[in-house]
Amino acid sequence: MQRILIVEDSATMRSLLASSLEDLEIPVKIVEAASGFEALRCLPRDEFDLIVTDINMPDINGLELVSFIRNTEKYAGIPLVIVSTESSERDRDKGLGLGADAYLVKPIDPETLRQVVADLLAGRPEER
Amino acid sequence: MAAKRSRQKKKKSANDQREFVAEAEDILERMFEDLSELQEQRHTRDEVDPDLVNRIFRSAHSLKGLAGMFGLDAIGDLSHHLEDILDGLRLGRISFDSPAFGLLDEGVALLATMMTGLERGDTSAGGDDEAARVFIAQIAAAMQAPEAQTQDELDELEIDSTLLRALTEYEEHRLRENLRRGRHISLVDSTFEFANFEEGLSELSAAVREVGEVISTLPSPGDAPESQIRFSLLVASEIDSDRLRDRLDDPNTNVEAIRRGSHPKRPNAPTEPAGSLDGPQADGADRSGDESADESRAARVEAPETGSLRSISDTVRVDIRKLDELMNLVGELVIQQNAVEGLASLLSSYELTSRVGAELTKANRGLDRKLKELQASVLDVRMVPLRQIFEKLSRVARRLRRDLGKEVELEFKGADTELDKLIVEQLVDPLVHVVRNAFDHAIEGPEERQNVGKPASGRIRISAFQRGNHVVIEVEDDGRGMNREAIRNKALESGLISENDTLSPGEILNLVFEPGLSTSDEVSATSGRGVGMDVVRSNLAEMGGMVDLSTREGRGTTVTITLPVTLAIIQALIVRIGEERFAIPLGSVLETMAIEPDQIGRSEGREILNLRGERLMLRRLCEEFEIEGAGREERQFVVVLGMGEQKLGLLVDRLEGQQDTVIKPIKGPFQDIRGIAGATELGDRTAILVIDVSTIIGDAVRRREAA
Repeated sequence: MQRILIVEDSATMRSLLASSLEDLEIPVKIVEAASGFEALRCLPRDEFDLIVTDINMPDINGLELVSFIRNTEKYAGIPLVIVSTESSERDRDKGLGLGADAYLVKPIDPETLRQVVADLLAGRPEER
Repeated sequence: MAAKRSRQKKKKSANDQREFVAEAEDILERMFEDLSELQEQRHTRDEVDPDLVNRIFRSAHSLKGLAGMFGLDAIGDLSHHLEDILDGLRLGRISFDSPAFGLLDEGVALLATMMTGLERGDTSAGGDDEAARVFIAQIAAAMQAPEAQTQDELDELEIDSTLLRALTEYEEHRLRENLRRGRHISLVDSTFEFANFEEGLSELSAAVREVGEVISTLPSPGDAPESQIRFSLLVASEIDSDRLRDRLDDPNTNVEAIRRGSHPKRPNAPTEPAGSLDGPQADGADRSGDESADESRAARVEAPETGSLRSISDTVRVDIRKLDELMNLVGELVIQQNAVEGLASLLSSYELTSRVGAELTKANRGLDRKLKELQASVLDVRMVPLRQIFEKLSRVARRLRRDLGKEVELEFKGADTELDKLIVEQLVDPLVHVVRNAFDHAIEGPEERQNVGKPASGRIRISAFQRGNHVVIEVEDDGRGMNREAIRNKALESGLISENDTLSPGEILNLVFEPGLSTSDEVSATSGRGVGMDVVRSNLAEMGGMVDLSTREGRGTTVTITLPVTLAIIQALIVRIGEERFAIPLGSVLETMAIEPDQIGRSEGREILNLRGERLMLRRLCEEFEIEGAGREERQFVVVLGMGEQKLGLLVDRLEGQQDTVIKPIKGPFQDIRGIAGATELGDRTAILVIDVSTIIGDAVRRREAA
């Protein structure tokens, strides 16, 4: 069972991301967090195999979350996917520079998301 | 497998679409509110609250993302362009005086219109899409080419690169902006126990916000990573790092200077950028540390409400049906408690058990008090301000202004008046109808107005206020008013009245609520009103409300809507007629009195009562429901009912007391009895019928008019 944490403040977007990932060919358990703080709370409770996060959120932003995860020994190795509406090169560079493994621009094609997530879970590096 | 997946997806997407509309509407509602707040700040403050602009930006941003996910391209495109404007504003690339800023309101209104189309299942919505395209072109024209960002001063700052790297573009801009304004930049570090970091952090942020702005909040692992978490707040403030440290006065919080500000600020300057809107401003900035530290601690307790961190997570969205269930449960409790009360008084009446009875009565009184509090709290949750409807009305007006080419100003009063959520929902249609009528038919075109010496632009004033257990909403226009002669002629034509009928001016006016008359275009063209007013009246009656009209020809018309504050729990007066008991909602009872038979007078074949010089129509409840064995008692009681402008005296045999009741709908043979709103249960577990006051009064008024 692969455990995936989805961090996204829009309920609709969250459930869309979740339902896309539920359709993966492998069994997954999905945990949803509605804010950066909630994500910080979820992290120690489960051993996550992958994290998908939005950037623009009300408490701490996705970049800050990525930075925290990469700087915490316990979580540093968890694959990270950023999903954001920011399509500028700058933001992408920032996200990937902080150590995210993939940066997808919304609207997300469910098939692409599944592909990226499946690759990362299988330990294949991403070029996105 | 693939087939199964696609089927699943289809089911999901119908569900999701509903979710989308619900969330999108929430977002739009918030945008409307925030935009009007922004407009106000622009006029009252030197610098608008950056958090507010950012919040609106985030709303547009979320909406764009959502729309994209559902392939709603027009909505997505428009949100995207609004987002561009907002992005420019928050990053300081566009000024608040630019024409683009002026387009925001209209853009959001257009989004709301598109959303309404979507909600109706209006998949084509071609007109709206076209409108969106035209509007987007307008935005593009209004946006000047954004200026390129100047040289990077951030590199010169001595900040840990981890922190700089995690700043979003917006946060970078806020940092630059604060540097430009010469504020002190500090790094506030604090370690929290993981178990309650949210609380600690929001207290800290709130304390910082009293004197400055939190630019970013970066979490990092604490020294004991298993149980602690550290947060680094990048702070811009008018006071320097040392003063900030004194003010925060917390051994676990470390404050480090990143950059000293350049020009000291005047105290109490209105330009203080303190993040919270109404929190104490940087008042203590120039006072000594000790004093202000005390102040800050006192303020910390209340401050989280105003901070942006907590305000979002403190709200829960609840399905109104769950509240209904809760309300029902409270109602059941009230009935049970009434039963206990009955038992207690029974026990008290026997000598052997009178002491237990008295104790039980006492305990029951305590229960009663708590139950009332519970009731009030649940009711309070259901209450929403009318502001929501008013905002919808301004949108409708904006649209009508465009479609009809009339200049009409809407004025609102009493937006904070609260009503039961269910009533508010059902009120939207009738109210929109009334406003549309006023717009369309009552207000004259600009030329016609000027010819009769009125200002070219019309005015509709909508005011709401609470009167006792009712909320009154008045829609007043300064249009042409209604022509009674035209209404009367039309009523004659359609056979609603005959030549011999002598109607009072008010009665003639009330004819516009008759189904036969109100659908006629001709009357609406000449008299200025009357389209679908029968529907308005019946919609309002369903919620126990009433509508009245008054008009002055050439001067305008006022439509007055009276509604109960809530439908959920009512206080009722229990009355007896013969062997039957009925409940009358106490909110509609003006007074009760005992009368002798010879006090009842007659006028035009109907019973009346002289009530302090006023002629009060009387109606015998036994006649209304054909009850036998009534009226045997010498002395009777009059229950004076009032709703809106109308009054009616109801003759009953006896008054039996007051009780809290929950009205339940009736199913089965009694379902369609006119004048009955539902049933309720008394403390002794017998079920009685609840009188529908608005129907009874309405019928009586009509009968009088018909006579």
